[in-house]
Parts: sequence; C-alpha cells; structure tokens
Amino acid sequence: MEQEQLQVSTEILPDGVGVISASGYINNEGGQAVADAVERLLEEGSTTLLVDLSGTRIINSIGISILLEILEKLLDASGRLAFCNLTPTIAKTFEIMGLAQYAGIYPDRETALGALGSHGGA
Amino acid sequence: MGVELHLPLIPDVELVAAKAVEVVGRDLGMTPEDIESAAVATVEACLNALEHGGNSKILVRVDVVEVEGRRFLQAEVEDHGVGFDPRAVPGAGASRVHGCAAKRGWGLTLIRELMDEVQVRSRPGLTLVTMRKGVGEGR
Repeated sequence: MEQEQLQVSTEILPDGVGVISASGYINNEGGQAVADAVERLLEEGSTTLLVDLSGTRIINSIGISILLEILEKLLDASGRLAFCNLTPTIAKTFEIMGLAQYAGIYPDRETALGALGSHGGA
Repeated sequence: MGVELHLPLIPDVELVAAKAVEVVGRDLGMTPEDIESAAVATVEACLNALEHGGNSKILVRVDVVEVEGRRFLQAEVEDHGVGFDPRAVPGAGASRVHGCAAKRGWGLTLIRELMDEVQVRSRPGLTLVTMRKGVGEGR
C-alpha cells in the first residue's frame, strides 16, 4: 500500500500564503505530520494556509480531529485555513465533522489560492 | 466471493480491511466514490474495534449480499471486547470546532453517514457492526 505512505512538504508563496502538500493516509500520525507542518509555517509568520490533499485517498476520524485542532489554533491566531483537492468522500467527512464550516474547501489549488487572495507563485 | 480477514492488533491494520473493500467493490463495478465511502466506514469500524475490542483479533468479512432484490457490498467488523451501548453514542450534530472538548468519537456517525444501511449489535464479549453500500442500479 505504497500510496498510503505519508508525504508532507511545505512552501511559502511570495505573498506569504503557506502551502502544505500532504499525500498518504491521514491517521493520527498523518494528522500530526500536517499539524507539525502548520506549526513550522506559523513560526515563519504565515497565518494563511492551504492544505493540498491531492494524493490522499483515505483518512480517518482521528486524523480529522487533529485537523480540527489545527483549525482552532489558526482561528485563535486570526489566521485562515483552506483545503483543496479533496476526494468526494473526504470532502463529505469534513462536512460531517464540521471542518467545512470554518475552513474553505476548494476543488483545486488555483481556485483556493484565488479565494485566499493569493496570486500563487506568479 | 467473500473475503474474511483475521486482523492482528498492529498499527494501520485497518488499511488491510479497506483494501479488501476496495478490491471487492471494484469487482462489483461500484463507483470510486462509493468504494471510498465504504472503505472509510470500514476503517472507522476497525478503529472502534481496535480501541474497544480488548486484546482479541478483529474479524472482518467483506461480501456481496442481496436484500429485497437489491445488491449490496456488505462489510462486517467483529470484535470480542467489552461492548458498548450504540444508543449512547452521540449522533451527527453541530461542529465541534471551538469550545467543545469532545473532538473524538465520530466513528459511528461517519459510518452511518457514509453507508446505506448500518446495524450495530453489541454486548459484553461481542460487538458486530454490519455495513452495507448499494451496488449499481436501484439505489
């Protein structure tokens, strides 16, 4: 199940938006890896964050709980969090668990960055 | 064509059950979205069994069943732990973001939302979660 191996990378775009790309199984370890990436970006001053989940096909409620904690922390820091490239099932679980109420959900990175007021890397 | 798995209590073993659902669902011609929903629900049932099932192995059966003329992919997850009262599990409700400590305990809610039919039977020594997702036409 190589496709479930978690890979997380981060970048900060020229206009300050932090992008976290995560692929693989978002369970407790996967969720924590994303949380650690968020922490690093916050320390670098980026409070508008986009989590790109292309490559993530399976997720569990423990992983989503950790994403909820990230969201709370970011809201407390007056930041913004958005997600893009979710599978329909992952998008549905985000809605059920309330994540979609506070975080933007977008079909792809370009749309998400536009909604976040970012010009991307251009 | 059913699959029966005896899962040991090792990290990420729930993915084995998810893979079984994926393979059977694909063979049945289910849509990727329906397969994924069934896989995520099965993962959640396995996680509950891992958390509450004591030290016993988890039994997972994935099969196709016909009920009143409709075909379903059926996934069953069985453990032999202390059991629980399914009626006492909170249902889907408002977001748990901000101000609510209970961010966990979503497993059964997700299972019920993602699957078409769900039955939970639990008593001390045996918990059996039966989940069905419709196949093809007539859903």
